[in-house]
Amino acid sequence: MEKTAKLQTGRTMKTKGKNAIRRTGGERVFDVLNSIFLVLLCIVMVYPFWYVLVLSFNTGSDAASGPLWLWPRVWTLKNYEYVFGYEALQVAFRTTLLRVVTGPFLTVGVCMMAAFALSKRNLPGRRWIAFLLILPTFFGGSIISTYIVYAKLGLMNNFLVYIIPGCFQFFNMIIMRTYIEGIPIDIEESAMLDGAGYFRIFFQFTLPLCLPIIACFGFFSVCNHWLDLQSNLLYVTDRSLQTLQYVLYQVINSSEAAFFIDAGASADTVAASLDAAAANTTPTPEVVKMTVMVVVTFPILLVYPFFQKYFIKGMLVGAVKA
Amino acid sequence: MQANKNRLNSKTHRAFLRRCIPLYIFLLPAFIIVILFQYLPMFSNYMAFLDYDFNNGWFGMASPFIGLKNFEFVFEASFWKMAGRTVLYSFTLMLFSFPLSLVLALLINEVRHETFKKVLQTLTYIPHFVSWVTVAGLFYLFLSTDRSGLVNNILELFGLKRYPYMQDANYFLPFLVISKTWKEIGWGTIIYLASLAAIDPQMYEAATVDGAGRWKQCIYITLPCLLPTTSVLLIFELGKMFTSNFDQIFNMQNTLIRSKTDTLNVHTYYRGVVYQQYAYAAAVGLFQGVISLILVLTTNYVTKKLSDTGVF
Repeated sequence: MEKTAKLQTGRTMKTKGKNAIRRTGGERVFDVLNSIFLVLLCIVMVYPFWYVLVLSFNTGSDAASGPLWLWPRVWTLKNYEYVFGYEALQVAFRTTLLRVVTGPFLTVGVCMMAAFALSKRNLPGRRWIAFLLILPTFFGGSIISTYIVYAKLGLMNNFLVYIIPGCFQFFNMIIMRTYIEGIPIDIEESAMLDGAGYFRIFFQFTLPLCLPIIACFGFFSVCNHWLDLQSNLLYVTDRSLQTLQYVLYQVINSSEAAFFIDAGASADTVAASLDAAAANTTPTPEVVKMTVMVVVTFPILLVYPFFQKYFIKGMLVGAVKA
Repeated sequence: MQANKNRLNSKTHRAFLRRCIPLYIFLLPAFIIVILFQYLPMFSNYMAFLDYDFNNGWFGMASPFIGLKNFEFVFEASFWKMAGRTVLYSFTLMLFSFPLSLVLALLINEVRHETFKKVLQTLTYIPHFVSWVTVAGLFYLFLSTDRSGLVNNILELFGLKRYPYMQDANYFLPFLVISKTWKEIGWGTIIYLASLAAIDPQMYEAATVDGAGRWKQCIYITLPCLLPTTSVLLIFELGKMFTSNFDQIFNMQNTLIRSKTDTLNVHTYYRGVVYQQYAYAAAVGLFQGVISLILVLTTNYVTKKLSDTGVF
């Protein structure tokens, strides 16, 4: 009986379960151990980020002098001052922001339109179209053949390479299609009787009804664009088009502090670092790396909890389909 | 169906087709993108058979045909070593990530307190929203020999020596497993939790009546019910076995251990993009692609035979 109670997520069954529960001693021990384990797991998940935050707010010279655990010993905002003055990061921030704003619209738009069309079961040639669209997911181009094609299409050092090639995702489209198929058909039929074509049905009925799934994939797309390193690594060498992840990659993999000044740090930054040197708060490469990491990583982590309910919904539709 | 419609009334059929025009227009963007960015690269795999010159003809496809000359790497021991390493890494990662996510899902499923459950899920998903660049950065930070290297700080408390773990290729695979687990274990539970919620509670009731305990229920009801989900996930993972984990391995490596930890993907990236040996890299890539396809078809066939679930 307790198993039933446990499995119920519905509210009604839960109250019923509460009355029915008779936990044995062994199960109580298990529950306690389980909770302890899960709490420890959460700490493992979160502590690294906390540690990075602590380092980014500590002065570099002090961080190098001895281990830090939970709280900065010598507070400073100099690291952030220094990092925000780093021009490559500002440029990358603008590029990434532009990407994150335009990319999801394209992806969701293209996928939703295709999903809508393929959800119409009587569309002539539907199976063939689906087959043509799925084929490349099983056998596509390799890294290099893709690279060559993109180069020939003029996508090298072009902002479009970030947002266009990846904007159609077959499996996302299938999940959207499943969602659209779940919408009651009567709405569509009555609209059709009123003389509405598919264009009107799509924009006036389907899109508003699909908002949850649109939010879900919009957010996924925002994440993908924010976290993507590969497209920058492969196709973009232009400094003015670098993304945040690429800058972070470069910063983490450079061992000298001089990197920042070489890499085109602005005069302000140099001045700031000289000031800092005078006050013995010069950011060391170590803390600068951590500060850049905070700047690059945290924005998405702060947004994500607000979207959690949407993406779980999206995953559920996907899971049912799979 | 089309013929049937024609026989009934060709006029209504034409009207029906006209109604469908917007649908084809809706499909157009997806089609253009797939053709340009997926089919063209697929066809340009052909360059693996050419003495490829980027500037020779349309897409460099007028370069002289040299047959299988670019595929001579299959006779090199170093290639097979790398291929073996690729499979070893992917396989080990799979071996850990599947069962661990499943176990975590079962444990979270046992939690009765709803708020605690929610918080748990929110916190365990966090690392999924972090890039491999950051994860690698964290590993280098935590394992560095500097004062900020937390792991070494702790080891020192226990009287052990500070050691540069990230610079030792022997630790590479364990770190791949740990980082992957840390990053994706929580995220992997979503799909399992969804399938768990879909299991018919009556089965558990019946099992309880028959006197089965929690453990037995898990073995005889929960796990078999999760089998379809798991096998579908497995098919996708196995298909990617030869080509996956680029971001992870690329970021976790460093120049000191690169020659000992390169996988095929990372290798083709360096040889093709960095050193511009296009034809060679394309040949390796095509080889990977063909193997992946064979893997997908085989696993799909096998799982279909074993458990009646397949992707196609």
